[in-house]
Amino acid sequence: MAQATTMTSGARALLCALMGLLAVEASAQLANAEPNISGTWERLGGLGGGADSPYVPPREGPPPLKPQYRADYEARRAAARAADERGEPIATHNTFCIPDGMPGMMAGPFPFEILQSPGQVTIVQEAYNQIRRIYLNKPQLPLEEIEPGFYGRSVGQWRDGELHVETLGIKERVRFRDVPHSPAMRITERIRLVAPDVLWDEITIHDPEVLEEPWQVTFAYRRLPDYEILEYVCENNREYADEAGGTRLRIGGPE
Amino acid sequence: MKHQLCVLLVAIGVGAAVCTPPAAAHHSFAIFDHNRTYTLKGKVREFHWTNPHGYIELDVAEGGPDGLAQFTIELTSINMLRRANWKSTDVKVGDEVTAIVAPLLSGEPGGLLLELTVPDGRVLVPPVPAIHTFKRTP
Repeated sequence: MAQATTMTSGARALLCALMGLLAVEASAQLANAEPNISGTWERLGGLGGGADSPYVPPREGPPPLKPQYRADYEARRAAARAADERGEPIATHNTFCIPDGMPGMMAGPFPFEILQSPGQVTIVQEAYNQIRRIYLNKPQLPLEEIEPGFYGRSVGQWRDGELHVETLGIKERVRFRDVPHSPAMRITERIRLVAPDVLWDEITIHDPEVLEEPWQVTFAYRRLPDYEILEYVCENNREYADEAGGTRLRIGGPE
Repeated sequence: MKHQLCVLLVAIGVGAAVCTPPAAAHHSFAIFDHNRTYTLKGKVREFHWTNPHGYIELDVAEGGPDGLAQFTIELTSINMLRRANWKSTDVKVGDEVTAIVAPLLSGEPGGLLLELTVPDGRVLVPPVPAIHTFKRTP
């Protein structure tokens, strides 16, 4: 009986060792695997709440613009604040139902959907039905071969459970928070789960012509397990800009 | 705490830069008066379940400045309304409703919906960002 107990202990020890090895292997595989980030997400700390979550990243600093761009940027910001206080906010691209493009579409406040398919990650932003495609394990094209657009051309790779993305080819008119950029702006992202249902997108904007140094902005998102993305068609836009560039609302019905 | 601080800062006029809520996807709400509201009773002439905003055209029977006959009421985007459980059938042409609105600062007969009482007695509140910053007045 005592011998049997000893053998059982030995077998248990062996089993434990094997299980330990399997756990280490599983953990390594998990780290290298593509995590499941498919589904719908919304900005954590945005309109849906969650501002007190420990996963809300610290707010970024101001854009490190070079002096020749900074004065103009700050003057525009001051003018925008003054216009808001007068109740005549300066019209922006959104006034005309022009979508945000990259990287503004990652800022919310509307939810977005991530679709993982072989060789591609697709992000569908509810506002303005915006879509960006991230081609996996494909080389980036030279800038001169990418036609400028709102979303540019994105390529990515999974590394240690993080999706590393590079985007080139953003039109100069597509501005994130009214920060100017050159045609050569390069956006890199590290997209990863920081908790089972919390995703971070660490966005870094590289633009040596305009910025003193890369500018990093991080957004956190929470999963919306039951939310189905809705369509968003700008069919009845009544806002317009007056001669001074202020936002106005057309009264009395659709055109 | 942060929220209370923001309300205080906004109230004294210095908080906008640090306390501005995430931008709505379409436009600034600064075109609307944050310091007074109208309570309008009337009949729905048109209801538009549309983006970037929903709209109600109201034939005004009571409320607002003297002589106000028609008023354009802007709602949030219908996506936000849907998430707040509004439906396209909640408002119908001909409905007698009561609308609390923040009027346009321009003085034109239009404003932002803050609350709507529909004929079956339900009080519908649109998910206007930072709705608490709109001061209600009689």
